[in-house]
Amino acid sequence: MNKDYLIITNNPIVRESFTNSVYLELTLEELLVKVRDMVHQGHELITHPLGASIRMMFSPYRSVLLSSYQKEFNEFHVSIAENSIEDYRKNTFNRKTDYQHKDDYAMIDIQLLNEAINEHERLKSIN
Amino acid sequence: MKLELRKIKVTDLALGNEMKFENGLLTIDPQVIIDGLMEDVNVKSVKVDIAKPGDKTRIIPVKDVIEPRVKVEGSGNGFPGVTTKMEQLGSGVVNVLSGAAIVTIGDIVGFQEGVVDMWGEGAKWTPFSTTYNIVVDISVVDGLQPHDHETTVRIAGLRAAEIVGEVARNITSDEVEVYEMGSIFEETNKYPDLPKVLYVEMLISQGLLHDGYIYGVNSQKILPTLIHPNEELDGAVISGNCVAACDKITTYQHQNNSSIIDLYNRHGKDINFMGVILTPELTTLEGKFRTCDYTAKLCKSLGADGVIISEEGYGNPDSDLLMICKRLEDSGIKTVLITDECSGWDGMSQPLADTTKEAVAVVSAGNVSHVVNLPPAEKVLGNPEAIATLAGGWEGCINDDGSMKCELNAVIGSTSEIGYHNLTVKLY
Amino acid sequence: MTYKVLYYVNQFFGQIGGEEKADIKPILKMEKVGPALGFEQLLGGEAEVVATLICGDNYFNEHEEEALKFIIDAVSEVNPDIVVAGPAFNAGRYGMACAGVANYVVDELGIPVVTGMYKENPAVDHCKAKAIVVEVSDSAAGMRNALPVMAKITKKLLNKEELGLPQDEGYFPQGKRLTVFADERGSERAVKMLVARLKGEAFETELPMPVFDKVEPAAAIKDIKKAKIALITSGGIVPKGNPDRIQSASAQKWGKYNIKDIDSLKGGYYTIHGGYDPVYANEFPDRVAPLDVLKKYEKDGEIGEIYQYFYTTTGTGTSVGNSITFGVEIGKELKEAGVDGAILTST
Repeated sequence: MNKDYLIITNNPIVRESFTNSVYLELTLEELLVKVRDMVHQGHELITHPLGASIRMMFSPYRSVLLSSYQKEFNEFHVSIAENSIEDYRKNTFNRKTDYQHKDDYAMIDIQLLNEAINEHERLKSIN
Repeated sequence: MKLELRKIKVTDLALGNEMKFENGLLTIDPQVIIDGLMEDVNVKSVKVDIAKPGDKTRIIPVKDVIEPRVKVEGSGNGFPGVTTKMEQLGSGVVNVLSGAAIVTIGDIVGFQEGVVDMWGEGAKWTPFSTTYNIVVDISVVDGLQPHDHETTVRIAGLRAAEIVGEVARNITSDEVEVYEMGSIFEETNKYPDLPKVLYVEMLISQGLLHDGYIYGVNSQKILPTLIHPNEELDGAVISGNCVAACDKITTYQHQNNSSIIDLYNRHGKDINFMGVILTPELTTLEGKFRTCDYTAKLCKSLGADGVIISEEGYGNPDSDLLMICKRLEDSGIKTVLITDECSGWDGMSQPLADTTKEAVAVVSAGNVSHVVNLPPAEKVLGNPEAIATLAGGWEGCINDDGSMKCELNAVIGSTSEIGYHNLTVKLY
Repeated sequence: MTYKVLYYVNQFFGQIGGEEKADIKPILKMEKVGPALGFEQLLGGEAEVVATLICGDNYFNEHEEEALKFIIDAVSEVNPDIVVAGPAFNAGRYGMACAGVANYVVDELGIPVVTGMYKENPAVDHCKAKAIVVEVSDSAAGMRNALPVMAKITKKLLNKEELGLPQDEGYFPQGKRLTVFADERGSERAVKMLVARLKGEAFETELPMPVFDKVEPAAAIKDIKKAKIALITSGGIVPKGNPDRIQSASAQKWGKYNIKDIDSLKGGYYTIHGGYDPVYANEFPDRVAPLDVLKKYEKDGEIGEIYQYFYTTTGTGTSVGNSITFGVEIGKELKEAGVDGAILTST
């Protein structure tokens, strides 16, 4: 059965582990922009594009769940996607992405992604 | 429920050959802690050291902070559901080694920062520079999965607090704090004219290094839940959060939750404090909608007139904070939010990315990007490489004299969103 | 050693003349002129006003580049520790000149600037982030109250003392959110704030949400085929040569041009907007303000008629205050002309 979600990711280990991942060789900022663009095209945000702490903003990697289907443009989702870019830029304006610990970030990202997928599967409505 | 916290004031700390407390001096035998923690087969080695206020000591990377205590009357010694059998918390008598703290170090991943400086400039920015810290550095056996690694370090910290807390068992306390509250109906009958107030405490609930636990239950798996304030003060809520140094709620801050205590202080005077709602901060938007709706519904069902909402973390939880606020304000319940902000190095950026016009009353716990200058330490407890992580954030953050610039977001508890510290932001 | 102050005034306060002298080019006098005299006395010997720069308000606003070039040379020559300008009270052009000098001196030379303005002077928003703008009354009658506040702040800046809160010191907030220590911990402040809210007492949020000016949309046009439609842009599209000298950023004015007899802006118009790549707009200005399509609609009877004037300004960096003023002025004209609807394009 086809999944109802896509994984938009720049995390190489997510690409290896998930067949329905859309792997993009992008910086985290570029990935957030890509997510925003897809939300404009009607994909729904399943997970929030940002993590839950400042430290995760210095991560090189992030995986975001979007709906695989496209619906009508959702203003709330667009504003979350747009604000996430702004928030990211503000927090990383003077900071360098922490590539030194990229493997750890990649591992945490896939762990959080797994939790997010579980949460999504538990919550999924039939529509 | 009636909880007595008998506060035994710790005014000095030393390492020695026995565990004892005398005239304010807490003496720690490291071997007792090491032996206790080594019972866990996943623990490879344990180092115990101390850091006192004023010492030129830097602790990094801090995983958790826990207050050493022992329950001398009533059920539920330790941390039921986690380190001990399930018991009801919230009643009884607890002897507290007040002023002492277990500070755990254990880097599960290389990018953890979380600094506590015990002296000088750095000390001002963290509440844990004024506690007498028993620093426990935990290494785990090779090959442990990250989840098990985190669990091992988390539980070791709680056990260390229990071991040290035992010292207080037969000590007479200087000061007793009593937290007593009847059922919501009893209190409302007692104070029929006082506005009914709830406290919504949000918890990061998103997975590895981003978790919180209530009686051992991962908060990811719960609907928002009502808890008696005494239960949290008695150790029902545990931190499993290893990131968000500046605004994570350590276990110590749950045990001494300042929002709960400050609401208690007004109970029966200006307000009728009815309880705490623990709300998970989930990852999915659907999950966020569900918890925010459910939280608002609980507040409405309980007839709240006013609610304080505290956040944990930064980024996606900002959405939950404002959604809960909007839902409550729309139903006529007055809110005050506690959060931190990112207004950039110069303070000129728009402080919150998400905004809602309903958030008319907000306490700002500080700008997470505020840059502070930390002088070189004489002694580093923990992993010196973590200092390199801390210092590696940008070009030129290490000065010629060895001091370094760091953003508040790396300092433990600096911008606490339960309002534990005293920073704020003013418009200049 | 006493500190050196350079004072900036317009032709009026520089005692050259009134409106008729507003075109004079900047001059540097190595003496104290006008308010500089009284100001120096208030510095209590800690600093000396060594020179006064005088420039006509119209000259500054219409030849900003040349004026600033002269001014920057003069400031470099005098090499003051601080520059004091105005106060400009509620004078728009004088305010803009003080703001222009302030921003330039701070940016180019890193020398602090103190000025004074009335709160509704649009120039406040223009320079408050860079200069210290003291809040003064709306007319020169307030000079006596303004100068002591400006002098006190000037002395503090010269002595590298930290300024207190804007409301305590008397200047407009610069928009810097600084982290400071509070007397009470956050939770206690939160509880106090909640109790005040519940009692209906005054309280002050520590993090004001940005206020967005929401405009209710007008009712739909009943019969579009009979409607008179106007075209307005903030895309900086002007007749070639920019006859009204509309600024390429931070616009101080708007322009209106007769488009009755043309079918497209192509050829006669170009953009002076400083905020986007002009190549495609210059090639075909209707891409920004679609007169060509409107004319076609008019011909085809899709709309009643196109209003004969086209309105334009530059949106980039233009203050909210100026935008509101422009909107009110343009709106008034359209209303009087019986226009039913307008198409506004931005970039």
